[in-house]
Amino acid sequence: MLSVRQKGNAGGREDRAVFRGAALPWLFLLPSLLILAVFIYLPTLRTLRLAGYRANLILGTEQWVGLGNITDLLGSATYRQVALQTLVFTLLSVTGGLLLSLGLAWLASRPVRGSRAYRLLLIYPYALSPAIAGTLWLFLFNPEIGVVNQLLGELVGVRPRWLDTPLLAFALVTVAAIWKGLAYNIVFYLASIRNLPTDVMEASQIDWATPAQVFWRVAFPLLSPVTFFLVFTNIVAALFDSFALTDLLTRGGPYVGHAGITTFLVYQLYQDGFVNFRTGAAAAQGALMLALVAFVTFMQFRLGERRVHYGA
Amino acid sequence: MKKFLLTLALVGPATSAAQAQTVVEFWHSFGDAKRSGWIQARADAFNKANPGVKVVPSYKGSYNDSLQATILAARQGKAPALVQIFEVGSQLALDSGAFQPVSSVKNVDFSDYIKPVINYYTIGGKVNSLPFNSSSPVLYFNQELLKKAGLDPKAPPTTFGALMKACQKIEAAKLDAKCFGMSLNGWFVEQWMAQQGQTLLNNGNGRQGRATSTTLDSKAAQNIFSFFKTMQDRGYYTYTGKLEDWDGSDAIFTNQKAAFHITSTADIGNIRDAAKKNGFTVGVGALPIPDGSKRNGVVIGGASLWISRGVSKAQAEGALDFALFMTNTQNMAEWHKLTGYYPVRQSSIDLLRKQGWFSQTPLQLVAFNQLTRTVPSPATAGGLNGAAIQTRRIIEEGLQKVLGGQGVDAALKDTKARADAALGEYNANFR
Repeated sequence: MLSVRQKGNAGGREDRAVFRGAALPWLFLLPSLLILAVFIYLPTLRTLRLAGYRANLILGTEQWVGLGNITDLLGSATYRQVALQTLVFTLLSVTGGLLLSLGLAWLASRPVRGSRAYRLLLIYPYALSPAIAGTLWLFLFNPEIGVVNQLLGELVGVRPRWLDTPLLAFALVTVAAIWKGLAYNIVFYLASIRNLPTDVMEASQIDWATPAQVFWRVAFPLLSPVTFFLVFTNIVAALFDSFALTDLLTRGGPYVGHAGITTFLVYQLYQDGFVNFRTGAAAAQGALMLALVAFVTFMQFRLGERRVHYGA
Repeated sequence: MKKFLLTLALVGPATSAAQAQTVVEFWHSFGDAKRSGWIQARADAFNKANPGVKVVPSYKGSYNDSLQATILAARQGKAPALVQIFEVGSQLALDSGAFQPVSSVKNVDFSDYIKPVINYYTIGGKVNSLPFNSSSPVLYFNQELLKKAGLDPKAPPTTFGALMKACQKIEAAKLDAKCFGMSLNGWFVEQWMAQQGQTLLNNGNGRQGRATSTTLDSKAAQNIFSFFKTMQDRGYYTYTGKLEDWDGSDAIFTNQKAAFHITSTADIGNIRDAAKKNGFTVGVGALPIPDGSKRNGVVIGGASLWISRGVSKAQAEGALDFALFMTNTQNMAEWHKLTGYYPVRQSSIDLLRKQGWFSQTPLQLVAFNQLTRTVPSPATAGGLNGAAIQTRRIIEEGLQKVLGGQGVDAALKDTKARADAALGEYNANFR
C-alpha cells in the first residue's frame, strides 16, 4: 500500500513517504476531521449564522437583523471600552508575564543551592485551577478582613480598596493573571534554558562577556523561538482564559465610564450570552473574537518566518 | 449481532416495567449537602408513599445554568417535569413557553399560602409556579458592638435616618469597625422600592403588560441612591468592592468589621452560628426604610417550582403532587428550621408557633412580621420583566457609580437610560 522511497543522501537523511491514490490519506484524516467538524467547524458556522439574528436563548426567538448586531457592537461605547481594556490588559499581562518568568527561570536555572526547590515552587501555581486561584485572591484582598490589608494596615497604616478602586482593581486582575500564567511560562523557559548550547555560552564567557552580556546577547536570542511561541499562547490566554479570574475576583467591575473596568471581551460575551441570554449579540461578539484570533494567528505565522532565530 | 439482540431482549422488559412508573425529574440549584440532602430525603419519602411515581431530584448548577439546561432539554423533548427557578427569571420562564401554570395542572387550594408570596407568582390571575424557598432582607446587628457604642440592641434603627444616627455613635466609639456593611445587590433596591409603595416598572410593575420603562427617576429611587451616597460620604459604609458578593459581606460582618449588616433571612442560621464562633451575639431587626415612608412591606425573593409543558399529564401531576408534598405544612416548618427560608404556608407558621419556635429563636419573628404585615399592592407583588437579570445588574452598577463619587441625579439618569434600553432590547424579541 505504501511505497517508501528513500532519498539516500550522504549527509542528512530525509525520509519521504508517498501515498498511492487520494482516498487513503483522507481515510486517515477522517477521525480528526470528524471531531473538528462536530466540535469546531459546525459550531463556528452556527455562531456566524446566529450573529445575523436578534436571538434569545430562552425564548427561542430569532429575527434577522443582518449586520445589525455587528454595527451595534462597533458603535457601542461599552463594547469599544471593553475592547480597549482588553488590549491594555493583554499588553500588560503578556509583556509583564514573559519578562518576569524569563527572569525567574534564568535565576532558578543558575547553579545555586536548592535550585530544585525553587523550580518546584515556581511551577506549583500551575496546579491551581483558575477558580481556586480567583477565590484565594478574593480572600486575600478583601478590604476589611483580607490578609493583605491587615498587614498593610499594621505596617503602613493604609487599607486600599482593591476591588472597587478602578485602577487598583485593574492592576490586581492583571497581576493575578500574570501570576497565574507564570508557572506555564517558566516551565517552557526552564526547559529551553537547559537546552542552550553550552559551547556557545562558554565561548562567550571565555571572551570575557559579562553575565548581562551573556544573557542579552547570547541566551536571549537563542531563546527567541520559545519566547515567540509563548507570546502567542499568552495572548490567547489573556484573551480567553482571563474569564475565571475576572468572574470570581471582580465580576467585571467596578463600573467606570461605560463598562466595568475589568470586563474584557470574553467576559462581556459571557455576560450577554449566558447571563442575559442575548444569544445573537453574543454570537456577533464571538464572530469578532474569531476574526481577532485569526489575525493573531496570521501574525504568528507571518512574523515567525521572518524574525525568529531558530539556532545555528 | 446475536449478542446485541440478546441484550435488547433482556433490556426490553426491564424498561417497559420502569415505564409503568412515572418518572419525575426535579432539577434544583442547591449544591450544598444540607439543602440538597433535605430535598432528596423528601423525594425518598414521597416515592415510598407513592409507588407509581419516582421523583429524581438532581442539582443542575446555578439558577441561571439550570434555567438554560431546562430550555435546551425542552427543545429536545426531554424537559424535566419540575424545575426550581429564581424569581428574577420568572418573566423569562413565562415567556419561554416551556412551562405550564401549576393551577392548570389540577385544582389546588392556594389559600394557605402566605399572601405576598403567592402574589409574586400569580401572573394574569393564574398561579404559575409553587413558592418554595422564599426570603426577604432584614437588618442584622452585632449586639456587643452596639452596646460598646452606647446603643440599645433592643431598639435597632428602623429608618435610614436612625441608622445614620446610630452610625455617628459607632464612629465616635472608635471600635475598629465600620458602621454598616451589606453586599451591593439590586435585590435590595427592589425591596426598598416596594417598601415605599413604588413600583419598579411601568404597566403595573410589568404585571398588566410588558414593562417598557423603569421608575428610576422616582423620588423613591432617589431616596435609596441618596442613602448610599450619604453613607459612603460619611465613611460609614463598606463592602468587598465586588458586586453581589454575599459571602464577602457576611464575612465582614461575622468578623466584627461592621456593626450593622443587611442580608437575606435565609442567612439567619449561618450568621448566628458564625457570630457565636467569633464571640458575639447577633440581633435581627426589620429592614430600615427611608424616613417618612409608610412601611409597605417586602417583595418575596428566592425561587419557586415550575412544571414543564412538554411532559405527560401523569408526569405533570406527579410533579405537582411532589411539589405540594415537599411544601406541605410539616415539611415547610422543617425547611424553615433547617435553612431560615420562610415556611410559605400560614399553617406552617401556626405549627411553628405551637411548637414554641419563635420564643426559642426570637430572631426569626422579626422576619415573619415583616412578611405577614406586607400590604398587598402591585409594588409589593414585585416587578416582572424578562430582562430582570440584566436590569438588576445595571442598578447595581449605578449604585457603584454613586459610591465611586458620582452625583445621585446623574447616576440615576444614566442607570434609567441603560435599564430602559435593556427592557426595549428584550421586548424587541416579540415584534
